Amino acid sequence: MASVSLQHIKKVYDNKVEVVHDFNLEIKDKEFVVFVGPSGCGKSTTLRMIAGLEDITGGTLKINDRVVNDVEPKDRDIAMVFQNYALYPHISVYENMAFPLRLRKMDKEEIHRRVCEAADILGITEYLARKPKALSGGQRQRVAIGRAIVRDPAVFLMDEPLSNLDAKLRNQMRAEIILLRKRIDTTFIYVTHDQTEAMTLGDRIVIMKDGYIQQVGTPQEVFDTPKNLFVAGFIGSPQMNFLQAKLVKKGQGEYAVNVQGITVPVEKKHAQVLEQKGIRDMDITLGVRPEHTTVRFDNPENAIESTITVNEMMGSELHLHVVTAAGDNVILRLPTVDLNDATRASLAAGNKLFFNFPGKVMHLFDNESTDSLVFG
Amino acid sequence: MSKKNEIPEVDIVIDEQKGVIREVKQPNLRSKAGHERRVNTGIYILLVLISVIWLAPFVFLVFQSFRSYATEDGGMVAYLLPKQWSLDNYRWLFNDPKSNFLRWYGNTLLIALFCAVIQTVMVLSVSYTLSRLRFKGRKLIMNVVLVLGMFPGFLTMITLYFLLKQLGLTQQGAIPGLILIYVASSGMGYYISKGFFDTIPKSLDESARIDGATRFQVFLKIIMPLAKPIVIYTILMAFMAPWGDYVFASYVAFGSEPNYNVAVGLYRWVNVNDYQGYFTRFCAGGVLVAVPITALFLALQKYYVEGVTGGAVKG
Repeated sequence: MASVSLQHIKKVYDNKVEVVHDFNLEIKDKEFVVFVGPSGCGKSTTLRMIAGLEDITGGTLKINDRVVNDVEPKDRDIAMVFQNYALYPHISVYENMAFPLRLRKMDKEEIHRRVCEAADILGITEYLARKPKALSGGQRQRVAIGRAIVRDPAVFLMDEPLSNLDAKLRNQMRAEIILLRKRIDTTFIYVTHDQTEAMTLGDRIVIMKDGYIQQVGTPQEVFDTPKNLFVAGFIGSPQMNFLQAKLVKKGQGEYAVNVQGITVPVEKKHAQVLEQKGIRDMDITLGVRPEHTTVRFDNPENAIESTITVNEMMGSELHLHVVTAAGDNVILRLPTVDLNDATRASLAAGNKLFFNFPGKVMHLFDNESTDSLVFG
Repeated sequence: MSKKNEIPEVDIVIDEQKGVIREVKQPNLRSKAGHERRVNTGIYILLVLISVIWLAPFVFLVFQSFRSYATEDGGMVAYLLPKQWSLDNYRWLFNDPKSNFLRWYGNTLLIALFCAVIQTVMVLSVSYTLSRLRFKGRKLIMNVVLVLGMFPGFLTMITLYFLLKQLGLTQQGAIPGLILIYVASSGMGYYISKGFFDTIPKSLDESARIDGATRFQVFLKIIMPLAKPIVIYTILMAFMAPWGDYVFASYVAFGSEPNYNVAVGLYRWVNVNDYQGYFTRFCAGGVLVAVPITALFLALQKYYVEGVTGGAVKG
């Protein structure tokens, strides 16, 4: 049970490379926070600083209001699960899980009780006598988690724990982590590069790039109101479409976007934000998520004409890769449930197609700063 | 012997319609087998020759040591097999008041055991430190040690002798003196074990430290068990160097016969003492020196190569 507070945390390596810049974050007790970002964004380094495996160059790290910058990892009351499991190969699963407890000189019966309980939670009771190398990847990861939960730590750190598993197992373990979290109910900090994991697991997501926090928010927030181009592109699958467009002021509190030959009015409340910022006509990057587009089989006014290049059948939906008349690539998502055979046939590569989108789904980004004009 | 016969030769054929196809050539088994047999025969003849050359001195030594001292000559003779087999020489080594053999043997064992313990601890801790910790001057230390290691140890012989003499560690003090010499620079032999430690994933250390272990506990409880082969290798090397050393032992103990090690003592029998009277005894002593080392090797060789890190992390 612990809160974690990172204030102006900075990491500079010996070769003077700064990999984490002024990282500020308050993590509440029992919160599940996910650090997500592309490789090299500093997310693992930040986690390792919290764990005490990396020195903190600047700033203050507090766990439960205690400054722990210079506290040994073992005295921080944390547990960590590593990407490569880091099981001790020379001892059995039971001993692996008992190891942290033995170091704490806990009495034998208590150790036995805790190990058995954790093994029961994770469904690895029958493997307790085995050595780690006799286990599959998923089982090893369970043991690694077990070794962390027997200690009942204040903060639970996980560094890409599912990255080494195959896709099916990863989905299964992801669900198990959600259940596990309900059972042990403590503070979690989870690092991943996979936005799906971040979205499904986190109470809050910290999106990082090049050592800077890009945005912190609930999965819904970062999905609905991305603060900049990077977050917009990183969260959501398939990725948000970006098109060059022109923002035009139509009157008091009224804006519209000219894109690919059509004009889409900006939603009222967004337009008010633009008005307050005093924004006039400007070139912008328009972002529209594939699932927010509407495919039109007729030829309505105010729809963008495009040619299908790839048709990906995902089962419940189609991902249509199209190229617009202006030559931009766009991905459209189309649920398959209402499609009749004739329509499906018409979606072959090379065929023409129209699509449009309502004003409320538009994300407007400044071309220079790449920040959202509306959010943040 | 060779598995060549079981692996069919494969030719890659590129077919325009089907892409790349691997075609299996039918090996011509008869001529292959014949050729292989000839090659193998050649190899075995060579191997037998080499082992004969290697084993000859030892066989000679063993035979000489079993020659009867009473009925045959105690020196060199022109025949190999003893005319009368006996344990005379061995009995003399152990029982005769003139023989210092047991004393020497004990000295050597004492020195070797001390060295094995001290040197192993030093080598392993230096290796672990250089493998795991990052500190200022780490690279410099490693480079300096590398350069120093290129000078042969006996370059320092004269200096060391005077130093030890000042400390009172020659002659009567030869045994502690020799231990000091042997273990003094032992940390410099860290290369092999550091290389081994480098292959043990660092995440094991990190995991253990988070689990509550101190650096020393990580070393003792995680790294040591995983490094068993290299620990045994280090102990063996540390034991063997003083066990067979002649150069240092001969001058540090010079003039104090009870403080000789076994190599120096035996050599002095055939060199200074009555060569004709002591040769077979020398041989018996030699056999007794070789026995523990051989036994150690046979007992521990299975640890030499052992995949230990399997299962620690996903490869």
